[in-house]
Amino acid sequence: MAFTEKETELINKLKDDVINYKVEDAKKHAQEAVNAKVDAYTMTMEGLAGGMAVVSEKFDSHEYFVPETLLCAKALYAALDILKPHIKMQKGAVRGQVVLGVLQGDVHDLGKNLIKAVFEAAGWTVHDLGRDVPLQKFVDEQMRTDSDIVMLSALMTTSMVGMKKVIPMIREKNPNVKIMIGGAPISEKTVEEFGADSTADNAPNALQEAIHMVDVLKKGEMTAK
Amino acid sequence: MEHTVIFQPSGRRGKVPEGTTILDAARKLGVGIEAVCGEKMVCGKCRVKVMEGKFAKDGITSSMVHLSAHAAKEKKILKADEVKEGIRLACATEVGGDVLLFVPEASRAGEQVVRKAAGKIKVRLNPAVRKYYVELPIPSLEDPLGDFERLKNALQEKHDLKKLSIDFGVLKVLPDILRKAEWNVTVTVWQNSEVIRVEPGKEEVNIGLAVDIGSTTVAGYLTDLNTGEVLTTESMMNPQVRYGDDVMSRITHCMLNEETGLKELQTTIIDGLNTIIKKATNKVGRQPEDISEMTIVGNTAMHHILLGINPEFMGVAPFTPALHESIDIKAERLGIHMLPTGNIHILPIEAGFVGADNVGCLLADTPYKRDEMTLFIDIGTNGELNLGNKDKIISSSCATGPALEGAQIEYGMRAAPGAIEKIKIDPDTYEAKYKVIGDDRWSDGKTNMQTKGICGSGILDGIAEMFLAGIIKKNGQINTGIQSPRIRKGAKGIDEYVVAWSHETSIGEDVSITLKDVRAIQLAKGAIYAGCIIMMRKLGIDKFDRLIIAGAFGSHINKLSAMAIGMFPDCHIDKVKSIGNAAGDGARIALLNVNKRKEANKIARKVKYIELGLEEDFNDRFSEAMQFPHMFTKFPHLEGIVPAEPQEVA
Repeated sequence: MAFTEKETELINKLKDDVINYKVEDAKKHAQEAVNAKVDAYTMTMEGLAGGMAVVSEKFDSHEYFVPETLLCAKALYAALDILKPHIKMQKGAVRGQVVLGVLQGDVHDLGKNLIKAVFEAAGWTVHDLGRDVPLQKFVDEQMRTDSDIVMLSALMTTSMVGMKKVIPMIREKNPNVKIMIGGAPISEKTVEEFGADSTADNAPNALQEAIHMVDVLKKGEMTAK
Repeated sequence: MEHTVIFQPSGRRGKVPEGTTILDAARKLGVGIEAVCGEKMVCGKCRVKVMEGKFAKDGITSSMVHLSAHAAKEKKILKADEVKEGIRLACATEVGGDVLLFVPEASRAGEQVVRKAAGKIKVRLNPAVRKYYVELPIPSLEDPLGDFERLKNALQEKHDLKKLSIDFGVLKVLPDILRKAEWNVTVTVWQNSEVIRVEPGKEEVNIGLAVDIGSTTVAGYLTDLNTGEVLTTESMMNPQVRYGDDVMSRITHCMLNEETGLKELQTTIIDGLNTIIKKATNKVGRQPEDISEMTIVGNTAMHHILLGINPEFMGVAPFTPALHESIDIKAERLGIHMLPTGNIHILPIEAGFVGADNVGCLLADTPYKRDEMTLFIDIGTNGELNLGNKDKIISSSCATGPALEGAQIEYGMRAAPGAIEKIKIDPDTYEAKYKVIGDDRWSDGKTNMQTKGICGSGILDGIAEMFLAGIIKKNGQINTGIQSPRIRKGAKGIDEYVVAWSHETSIGEDVSITLKDVRAIQLAKGAIYAGCIIMMRKLGIDKFDRLIIAGAFGSHINKLSAMAIGMFPDCHIDKVKSIGNAAGDGARIALLNVNKRKEANKIARKVKYIELGLEEDFNDRFSEAMQFPHMFTKFPHLEGIVPAEPQEVA
């Protein structure tokens, strides 16, 4: 897609603001975009989410650590708050829906909040259940919203054990839903052992995984039809 | 094909090619295993135990079937029950899958260094058990009073002890002992109320044991209850480390293995305590039965597991313990081999993660009696913080992880000979010199120092020195722009700083501090700092009068290093004091004075626990505090020590 000069300029500014965690600049440029009446969805996707993708590369290459990443997310949120009311909901704009939460017994939600920021910026609908979430609530919320993916987060190994219990509970109600798990104690082996579908070691990778899983889901539906 | 091998209790882990012997894997990973006979399957010194099951924390499933079959020669050396228990000879066994191996004390090469030496304490002697010598009138047809009543009368007359009861087990042997001793006996009385031992003749020796059960180290202080003197200190790695490095992974082990997990862990620690008792009493020429009283401190999980109480509910929010108050329980009920009728006093618990060990710290330092505002940091695998004075005290707990104890660090190891414990870096040349445990010399870059790795205080020192020399940037990155052969990209493509060249080591590899290690320390110190300032805010204060650092590692910490990286809020360095193993000191205080046990119960309920995870801004404060020394806050007292901040390039 070709962008106008103004659009390209604002995309780059927003991108830089996120990468360099400039909260005030991010707000200023988001407002500028609104005033200029450029497409808010494009600004969010190309500017904010695009910036976050660079942040994740920096995290992977050990250039950035948790503090920087968190500040980037803050800049992203600040701009998103301004852009969000102006995003026109086109058909197909919403990539998908996720239910997200930290398992009961655990109040560590730093990772979960980063996931939320990245997914919202990428145009997903996130049903955030917060932290210390009772297992049954994941099942109920999935049923209520008919979300494509349930994302379970745990930092402590003790709360991670809850995943083993809740995954069959979710599958029993809805065998098609995809389940993604994440957090410090989670590995590929845990995914296999607990019967989840996947994991990712950072938020943008989780997004890639999620897009892939929803594509698979949609293909599955088409074949079924 | 490569497989993961993990050695406990050292915590060293790595990948080795299929077919590597366990002994070679140990060498590669810097784990010392005795191999006296030169791998000929003769000496049997290299016994290791293969752990069975899933180890969630380590992300592996360990099993005997992941190893080569027993060689005929190996089977000759191992006893049948050893084979059953999963014991193998490291030299004879090849790796064919992921395994977790426990290296028993006897197979370990190189002595562990005791980092929990007893500190100086001041306490008035008032132990729970006392010994009384009495000479009883010999019974006759004119005076046929029962043996116990006869004993009671004598104790009341001579020592003014009233309303005594007697332990049932002691009662059963009383008639025989009295007659054999010709009615002259020494009676051990607990809390002026119960007779727990009757010995023939006059016996003055009265000893007790104070124990600190840490997640990583267990220390026992054998103490003379008549004088308060520590007769000997015995310490060991907590044998439970084979089930996981930290408290959470051990609780998880109990949860995942419902039938057996808790029992296994409980038996393991009780066996450990019995080993300490045996070794300690042996050293001073006494018998385990001579220990007539024991006091124990430990975090809440250690406490529950020792008692066989399910730790699951204290391990998940809202982190409720089974009880708060102290417990008295007879040794025979736990299978602890001291005087069977002797009492074990376990100090009270404050809150979920803040256990009897923290209460011990408070007893030792008594911040609740002081006018000055004290910030007390107990550094262990879990960090405990206390802040307050005689008016009010609050506490909290933060997950520091095992990095500060040298675990989960690329070349990390626990404090043992060969571990780098001090590092100095020249800010002009970027050259390092260091000291290893067990050697007084500083390294010179040429001599083989037999270096094996870096322990907790070494990591802290190294990272502080790297920061002060400008090798580490404020945000934790390694400044790869610096021209020095020591600063490079390591084998895994991760930036690192070489502390010791391979020719200085006994492992044949360069020993370095990697960017990943820096990140682990950033997380640990960020958590402690954030905890400190949130607590200060809760009390509405912006400075404190004294800062106390405790913990096994506390006594060896370089105060300036800790401050330079921003582990705690800025203050004058003279306010900072490290006092060693305060938790163990608290156990000794409770052993020597029963009134202190009451004080402990009062304090445990007085301290207000703050759940840091529930603080709205904890993540923000935590993440800011991960930078060196802090993202925003200035450290005026570090001026002239910390390099002037270069302008951050945005």
